[in-house]
Amino acid sequence: MSIVEIRGVDKTYQQGKVFVQALKNIDLTVEKGSFAAIAGPSGSGKTTLLNIIGGLDVPDRGDVRVDGNAYADMTRSGMAELRLCRIGFVFQAYNLLPVLSAVENVEYVMQLQGVDKKQRRERAVAILDEVGLSGRYHNRPAELSGGQQQRVAVARAIVSDPAIVLADEPTANLDSKTGEGLLQIMEKMNREKAVTFIFSTHDRMVMSYARRLIHIRDGEIENGKPME
Amino acid sequence: MGMDMKMAWRNVWRNPRRTWLTISAIGFACIILIFMLSFQFGSYGTMINSAIQINTGHLQIQAENYFAEKSMRQVVPEPGPVIRSASGIESVQAVTARANAFSLVSSDNRTGGAMIIGVDPESEAQVSTLETLVRRGEFLTEAEPASNPALIGRLMARNLQVGIGDELVVLGQGRDGSVAATALTVCGIYASGMDEFDRSTLHMPLDTFQEVYSMRGAVHEIVVKVSGLNHVAPVKRVLAKRLDQMPGGDSLTVLDWDELMPGLTQAIKLDLTIGVIFWALLVLVVAFSILNTFLMAVFERTREFGVMMAIGTRPGRLVWIMLYESTAMTLVGIGLGIAMGCMVTWIFQHIGIDLSGASEILQQYGISGRIYPQLSIITALAGPALVLIVTFAVSLYPALKIKSLKPVEAMMHV
Amino acid sequence: MDIKIAWRNIWRNPRRTIIIMTAVIIGIWSMIFLTAFMRGMVVDMIENGIATLTGDVKIYASGFRSDPALENRIRNPGPLAEKVQANLPADAHMAARIRVSAIAQNARHSAGVTLVGIDPAEEAGVSFIGDGVATGQMIRPGNPVDIVVGKALLEKFETKIGNKLILMSEDAAHEMASRAFRIRGIFSAELEATEKRFVFVSKSAARGMLQIGADVSEISVMLENHDRADAVAEKIAAAIDTEAYEVRTWKELKPMLKAYINIFDGYIILWYLVVFAAMVFGIINTTLMAVFERMREFGLLKALGMRPWRILRAVLIETAFILLIGAAAGNTLAFSMVYAIGQRGIDLSMFAAGFEYAGMSSVIRPEIFAGDVVLANAVVICLGLVVSAYPAARAARITPVEAMARN
Repeated sequence: MSIVEIRGVDKTYQQGKVFVQALKNIDLTVEKGSFAAIAGPSGSGKTTLLNIIGGLDVPDRGDVRVDGNAYADMTRSGMAELRLCRIGFVFQAYNLLPVLSAVENVEYVMQLQGVDKKQRRERAVAILDEVGLSGRYHNRPAELSGGQQQRVAVARAIVSDPAIVLADEPTANLDSKTGEGLLQIMEKMNREKAVTFIFSTHDRMVMSYARRLIHIRDGEIENGKPME
Repeated sequence: MGMDMKMAWRNVWRNPRRTWLTISAIGFACIILIFMLSFQFGSYGTMINSAIQINTGHLQIQAENYFAEKSMRQVVPEPGPVIRSASGIESVQAVTARANAFSLVSSDNRTGGAMIIGVDPESEAQVSTLETLVRRGEFLTEAEPASNPALIGRLMARNLQVGIGDELVVLGQGRDGSVAATALTVCGIYASGMDEFDRSTLHMPLDTFQEVYSMRGAVHEIVVKVSGLNHVAPVKRVLAKRLDQMPGGDSLTVLDWDELMPGLTQAIKLDLTIGVIFWALLVLVVAFSILNTFLMAVFERTREFGVMMAIGTRPGRLVWIMLYESTAMTLVGIGLGIAMGCMVTWIFQHIGIDLSGASEILQQYGISGRIYPQLSIITALAGPALVLIVTFAVSLYPALKIKSLKPVEAMMHV
Repeated sequence: MDIKIAWRNIWRNPRRTIIIMTAVIIGIWSMIFLTAFMRGMVVDMIENGIATLTGDVKIYASGFRSDPALENRIRNPGPLAEKVQANLPADAHMAARIRVSAIAQNARHSAGVTLVGIDPAEEAGVSFIGDGVATGQMIRPGNPVDIVVGKALLEKFETKIGNKLILMSEDAAHEMASRAFRIRGIFSAELEATEKRFVFVSKSAARGMLQIGADVSEISVMLENHDRADAVAEKIAAAIDTEAYEVRTWKELKPMLKAYINIFDGYIILWYLVVFAAMVFGIINTTLMAVFERMREFGLLKALGMRPWRILRAVLIETAFILLIGAAAGNTLAFSMVYAIGQRGIDLSMFAAGFEYAGMSSVIRPEIFAGDVVLANAVVICLGLVVSAYPAARAARITPVEAMARN
């Protein structure tokens, strides 16, 4: 069963006076439970594609359907609802709220969903334990290392049992050993919780973890075949 | 909700220096406003009270047209029942009767015009401060009645070149148009601080006055003192009702101090209006001073807002978080401002502010050399409320800016 | 070059610059405009006070001021008047009057008034009565029965033009003199108190009634510029016998007015400082922000070998731009508003009784004083630069290493 279906998506940006075509006629299907990497050099359109899957950005043309929802038919607040409950995000850097502690960052999403306070705390602590951050619950992001911050971000992304987690170059700011650790945790979550992961990267090591590689170059998919 | 508040509060303190500067600006405005408003109200209180005490009293009962025309013939013909009736009202402290006539006053060397006021010495002392204003000689109650005592103002004494014990001749017209003339002996000289009053009034016992001016027992004013300004309106209503039931009462009217001195309340309103314009502009300057802080708080966190929107926070909620932030800052500023403003005002309320340099001007308005600011709920909260409203209005602009943010652009923002 | 860089820098964040400029503009505007408004009230009071039979300089017989009685009059004023006239600037006006307190009476009312004997032609340009009457006609010189009274007095006495009015006063021999006049005209003044206080008759009528021959009570001088009163008074005093006569300026005659001006000057400085303080928070905060977000840049400039004082100067130039532009706009706004209101003034007659109580007229014509404008601008620009020295010093102190470590 597919969780992401993209048909004929185009996206053009205007940078100053120059128009850049970021995506050209993209067709893509991702199956539920995948652990897929969008690979390509910088400027190839990886981030744009992820943003469009996540509903953060709107394509100029084409259809996007995620977890059974056709984006074209949805309102702004409907999109926020979908992102809140069904999609998790991990960004390259600085994606935690600096004024909240690790556990509060994880709780924040559940609070938006209206989960009650006690349950919130229990689940947040449990998920932080799972990503290996026992004892770091009350540290603010500034007091955590880059790898630890990204693990909090992963915990935040999966805590509400989303259908899909989108990670834009999650390891880009980490050294290779820490990056590998993060990928192992992501893979573990993928296996244990059957959450679909799509992440972008240009790093060979990271690609080697993916069970499916989607190569993108100059806004076009070169090879969309599953490796499984 | 709880978490939004917590986040807002922590965000406030992310940049302590900036926050303190903003809080100081708000607090500063509150302190100035509280102090100045209390100062203004304090001086109004002094003005009203001294004018009431020296002159008009809280309420007066007069013949229907006496206030407008000041004619000798418009009298309260039988003051006795009216005085008894007024005295019986709760919160009325004292009642006295007066009669007025403009006459020529002559000493040995000089002649001048004066308002001759007949007062009942005993009750006058309870209603007005006249007795305490006597600087030389003695008040009418202590003077020998047979000597036909008269009390005159400091400036009149100077103009007529008379002192205590000197004789004055009064020449005027009685109620019936006959010639009214008598000789008086100066028993005391008063200084009220109001030049006009000290130059042009002469007080004598009411019974002598009634005899000299053929009043046949009538008076012009019945002056009522109540226990405080807030009792004036209720007592006035009761008095008016009682007058209606009295025989001949329909030709009488009750006037309060505000009607008796229309210029005074208007001068106060004018001063207050000018004050409000000044203070409103001050608050506006403060508002623009802090608008940049609020804007910065939004712009430097644009990326963060992008992330929050990406993980599912609705823009409306972000607007609220920003408003919590700016309101938290404002409330801290206002709280500190009120505390310090009240403290400063309270201190000056007790020691007073010496304005002796300005005493000549203030005398004209009946204010003595020191002014005591009057702290009240209104003066303590009106200014800060204005600050709160204006600051909140100002903070809406940056907060609403968030609504138009798009997550992707926001996250690209550095 | 520094100036060009500073100029471009303040427009890197136009919204922020415009906001802080707006604070400066409102601040300066309120300083200048409200001061002009208040000045207008005070000037009006002074003009009124001087025109109400005071004059810039007055000459009396010694003793008249403390005892304004008929016996302290100027006897045989001819030679004195000539000496005074000889020492006046060309644009000055002079009038001699008789002035005595009197009782006005008709069939129904009586009141204390000041009886003034004048020559209407002489009073032109000296006092308000020289401007003529509002209704009816001016008294005729030498006429023994003409009298001009104020509108408020006329109403109080329930009388009208053509009716009789009796005046009583003591004459030179201390006898009660009484004379009947006929109301010929009505004057109106800005203050009701003035209308109730003065009645005007011809000099000869007053002299006849009071039995004082050709004597007068006072000589009043009006100048084009009130500030020159002291100089003119000194010159006159040097020329006449100061044993027999006193020379006084309006400042001495109306100490209240002088006191008002002093209080007002103090109040203006206070108001300027308060408004400035309100601006200071914004100026410091905005400059701090502008400095902190460019710390890397300053570090880089330092690394390139720029000296700290040049960085300090660069930041101060930026603040100076904001202050100067804000000040220019604030001044322009205030000046054009005062100009637009002009001589029509702002009519606040809803507070008329309040103004009367305070001795002012209820039409306010804002008046700009150069000194106030200079002070307002100096306070904002100089102190503004002083306070922005703190953020500027922060920028100047940064070391390249520290700067690169920030982000």
